[in-house]
Amino acid sequence: MSEESSEKSNLVLFMPSGRRGIIEQGKTVLEAARQVGVEIESICGGVMSCNKCRVQLEAGHFDKHGITSDESHLTPASDEEMALLERLKSTDCRLSCQAEIQGDVLIFVPEESRAQKQVIRKSATDRVIDIKPAVRQYYVEVERAELGEHRGDWGRLQASLKSKWGLENLTIDVHVLHYLQETLRKESWCVTVTIWHDREVIDVKPGYQEGAYGLAVDIGSTTIAGHLCDLRTGDVLATESIMNPQITYGEDLMSRVSFAMTNNDGLRKMHTAVIRALNKLAQSAARSVGLQPDDIYEAVFAGNTTMVHILLNINPIELGGAPFALANRDSMDIKARDLGLRFHKNSNIHILPAEAGHVGADNVAALIAEAPYNQDEMLLMVDVGTNAEIALGNKTQMMSASSPTGPAFEGAQIEHGMRAAPGAIERVRISKETKKASFRVIGEETWSADWQIGIDVSPEDQPAYLATGICGSGIIEVVAEMFLADILNPDGRFNPDLKSDRVRWNGRKGEYILATEKETSNGQVIIVTQDDVRNIQLAKAALYAGAKLLMNRMGVQTVDKIVMAGAFGSYIDPKYAMILGLIPDCDLDKVSAVGNAAGDGARIALLNKTKRLEAQKIATWVTYVETAVDPEFQNEFVGAIHLPHATDNFPHLNGILPEKKVSDSQSGRSTRRRRRNRARSQ
Amino acid sequence: MSDEEEIILSELDIKELYELMGEDLYDGLAEEVVEEVNEALGRGKTPYEVLTQGLVAGMDIVGVDFRDGILFVPEVLMAAKAMKAGMAILRPLLAETGAPKIGKMVIGTVKGDIHDIGKNLVSMMMEGAGFEVINIGINNSVEDFMEAVDEHDPEIIGMSALLTTTMPYMRVVINHLKEKGRRQDYIVLVGGAPLNEAFAEDIEADAYCRDAAVAVDTAKKLVAIKQGNM
Repeated sequence: MSEESSEKSNLVLFMPSGRRGIIEQGKTVLEAARQVGVEIESICGGVMSCNKCRVQLEAGHFDKHGITSDESHLTPASDEEMALLERLKSTDCRLSCQAEIQGDVLIFVPEESRAQKQVIRKSATDRVIDIKPAVRQYYVEVERAELGEHRGDWGRLQASLKSKWGLENLTIDVHVLHYLQETLRKESWCVTVTIWHDREVIDVKPGYQEGAYGLAVDIGSTTIAGHLCDLRTGDVLATESIMNPQITYGEDLMSRVSFAMTNNDGLRKMHTAVIRALNKLAQSAARSVGLQPDDIYEAVFAGNTTMVHILLNINPIELGGAPFALANRDSMDIKARDLGLRFHKNSNIHILPAEAGHVGADNVAALIAEAPYNQDEMLLMVDVGTNAEIALGNKTQMMSASSPTGPAFEGAQIEHGMRAAPGAIERVRISKETKKASFRVIGEETWSADWQIGIDVSPEDQPAYLATGICGSGIIEVVAEMFLADILNPDGRFNPDLKSDRVRWNGRKGEYILATEKETSNGQVIIVTQDDVRNIQLAKAALYAGAKLLMNRMGVQTVDKIVMAGAFGSYIDPKYAMILGLIPDCDLDKVSAVGNAAGDGARIALLNKTKRLEAQKIATWVTYVETAVDPEFQNEFVGAIHLPHATDNFPHLNGILPEKKVSDSQSGRSTRRRRRNRARSQ
Repeated sequence: MSDEEEIILSELDIKELYELMGEDLYDGLAEEVVEEVNEALGRGKTPYEVLTQGLVAGMDIVGVDFRDGILFVPEVLMAAKAMKAGMAILRPLLAETGAPKIGKMVIGTVKGDIHDIGKNLVSMMMEGAGFEVINIGINNSVEDFMEAVDEHDPEIIGMSALLTTTMPYMRVVINHLKEKGRRQDYIVLVGGAPLNEAFAEDIEADAYCRDAAVAVDTAKKLVAIKQGNM
């Protein structure tokens, strides 16, 4: 590359992208950037009002790049630009819309000026999101209406958008026409135009007024969680979650479908409830950061299929029984106002696609968040709830399934089960020697073994909450710990040979005293019964069998990585999930909870429109397996009832699982001989 | 194990042989159960006696221990498989000798529902108790149930559902029986995770069976009452 630049054109190199090109002298840096395909943020289009397009000139000779860059190779900053940069404390920068190229330059585009930004999710896994929102804002000056010129104001606006921004074939929301003329005339024909997918004008504001926000929502059957994001920067401004008010009409999905089946206005009630809740969520999220719901220009929704049907006011009745037909599997864009959602009145909502009758947009969202389809590693993703969703695969193949685990993990069907709330036992350790438990309750950091309780203890030294019940993660831990402490046999039965004051017998059924009278809020012991253990065994076997079935179908013996998605997944200790046999064997370091992956996926789709296409592609690419009708399911299910499993090995639990547990589960002729002399228990 | 003693079947008296049959059944040892059934038959015992005193007696204990939480699904399925192996030998012989029948049941999961592990467990336990069971599988419409009922003429119709949304179909089947004036001809038993007694009462089933052990007890009781009334 020649160091000598011609009089008319110069070498311009952009960093960090490394893109370069020969640029005609006199063009602005912004124009040069567009020419070589570097996206620099710019909303105002060169009138120095958005201040987004700041870049830095790197001076010096760069041998590696064959370029000598110098400040004099750009036109000097005008007084106006200087003043602006001083005000922004950015005197080391130039506005790329102002600086014209006079010689070879190396330009550094800082992170905040890149149109495609990346934000790193601050959480368990670092997710990198390229910012490519569907909604963007453009500032234009529109030709004034004159006598003898008949294009109309919309025609003139289109002309400006075309000449200034190269936007063509635009449509306009009819509601914008209601105020377009008045708006154009307010600030001498200068307007900020908000455009969806570079296709439809959804808002026009007088003068330069930036600010476009979006809402990413995961509608769960229990909780609705939303992230309010700045569509330009990708920043999460607020995260709000509220209870799904449909709970009044049924605790789980099938009860809601059932409610719609058996009540004439059941669907209407549930639809109205969720719309109201979403409006409330949008309002409180927006107000918490000084915005209005009116500032929300787009929302992306994920949710299970039943929730999405009800959101769209479609009767979910067909989801109640085989063959579980969806009204629509594909993604959709609709006007928020058509559903009564009070965001900006011209805003759109995007519904992510589903995979099958009971694997919905929430699963697809979690998939685009984790993107196993781009990886070599064999990933197993499980979302534990009343209905567990399972996905398995890598870039070669993906499969998914749903498995009816039932409500045991949510505390239902468990003698002292409860939802996660203050006082719920969430962590449990049982001494192998004394069989006594130490536990931790939600709302109190101290383990119960260290609690100071009694009339002689001052109130501030006493625990904030005494135990009131056991929540899902607590149930998993207590059953796993009971197994490790030899209170339970591998088949799930209470060890009949154990003598302990912590185990009492109700007829022939054992009960384990987890919390003593002193440790509970009502002065009654909290116990884990044989039936509780059986219910947990059934629930975990359903999940494990579903995962195993997918592994068999795919022909893999082991998985490289396991992620537990969903709110509940975040609270499960992977080690205990494995000891229980809820998930198959895997390197424990490779098992992680990813929180609300569905919510993250919705956010990714909100901030990056190409991810929506990806979601649609993935939704149809994933092979859905109907586990219940697979001839192998029953065998897999039965095998998975044992702790952790009747036949599958868990080499990664070596040293954690007791040795003899392995041999215990093997039966053969020797069993018969032993049984021969066994006194029958009756 | 050093204290193991080798058991020679021919050296056992018949009471010990039935006891051993019961124990092997309990442990799910199908091969052994078959050997013992053949041994008993070889000694000239009637198929009906081998069934009732050997296999059914053994399965009774399995049922009790299942109800009491001592045994669980895998163990019961293993026992039921061993029972099935024994029955494979006895069934043709029972048909030949015209031995008294305990009862017959048509069982299936209702329309819209594709889950059948629970129903299969009931089916196997019922067979274990000596019932003849016609398992018509999943996703059964009224027509499917009626076709099986007309063909097999059972005393009992069993319906299962795992989903809240599919259990109402049980009422459709029962109403159909009523419309045809055939409701009194059958004992209708229902079960499945979302059901309860109130629901069974509401749809006018004869009983709700919480689990497989309860199903067997209820079936025995109701069949006995029905036969007594005839």
